[in-house]
Amino acid sequence: MEHLTLADEIVVLMLDDETGAIRPLCAGFANVAIAGGILMELALLARIDTDLKSLYVIDPKPVGDEMLDSALQEIAAEPRHDGSKSWIRHFAFHKGDLTSHVLERLVRAGILRAEDRRLLWMFSRRAYPQNTGREEREAKGRLLAVVFDDAIPSPRDTLLLSLADSSGVLDAILSADELRKASKRIEQVVAFEEIGRSVKAVEAEIRLQIEIASIARPM
Amino acid sequence: MDINQEVTDGMAVYRVTGRIDGLTSPDLEQALSSSINGGTSRVILDMRAVTYISSAGLRCILSTAKRAKAGQGGLAVFGLQSAVNEVFEASGFNTVLPVVSDENEARLRLGA
Repeated sequence: MEHLTLADEIVVLMLDDETGAIRPLCAGFANVAIAGGILMELALLARIDTDLKSLYVIDPKPVGDEMLDSALQEIAAEPRHDGSKSWIRHFAFHKGDLTSHVLERLVRAGILRAEDRRLLWMFSRRAYPQNTGREEREAKGRLLAVVFDDAIPSPRDTLLLSLADSSGVLDAILSADELRKASKRIEQVVAFEEIGRSVKAVEAEIRLQIEIASIARPM
Repeated sequence: MDINQEVTDGMAVYRVTGRIDGLTSPDLEQALSSSINGGTSRVILDMRAVTYISSAGLRCILSTAKRAKAGQGGLAVFGLQSAVNEVFEASGFNTVLPVVSDENEARLRLGA
């Protein structure tokens, strides 16, 4: 892996340093963020493009990354030009455990290591601590620069902020006061990119479903 | 997509015709960059004849605006058709760069 894709970066940011697991705050939205990250990376690599209604392939040539190429191949094979929301739902909910897939590829790339840890001496779970933490620090630094600087951000940083906002990463790395002060700026930057807006919309659908399920739960 | 460029009063004006999408935006970005790299960092985009813009097109405009600002200039856009204007409004681009109705206003916004 020459450089981290947006899907890789958002997973690194979603990891809790102490537990080596996806932060509980982010867990319900991880697959949506990864699905969005895959589409965003393909857009930055000039393989797909979007508008307000559709997502379409502009160049089906493989990019040399198995995760991205698998998604690109699937999109290219679909004759209908559905919008980005539809593709985010498809990859997030119908392609298995995307989060584990990305965690394992980060282990293969030497960014994380896999450890089997015991919980209460009985339950075993796999943890993914970071080897150096350099990738997380670098991504966090870019996020903070976008949030607290008024300059126009790069497309990659704009998209990373969209993912961080939708997945709960910003809630984890910023204080409530910082979030409140930066809310307008975050809203402004997230709006720049169509796929970022779609990720946010799908995340809002999940939150609504969770809310409905909690209301409908018998007492 | 066709691009015509002229430089007057220290501002580069690009008159674009057709679609700005993932296939055409690299050409537009290259053209816009040539002005900024050449020292003309106040750039105006005449979009009266642009019929469609995709996310890749918007990305190209935002990247150019970023570079123009870094060069102590700026990018202003004018003459959006309604379909293109709808895309600009959805992305909130008017909060970071001047999106105006005509060339005179664009020049004024860039400090003519």
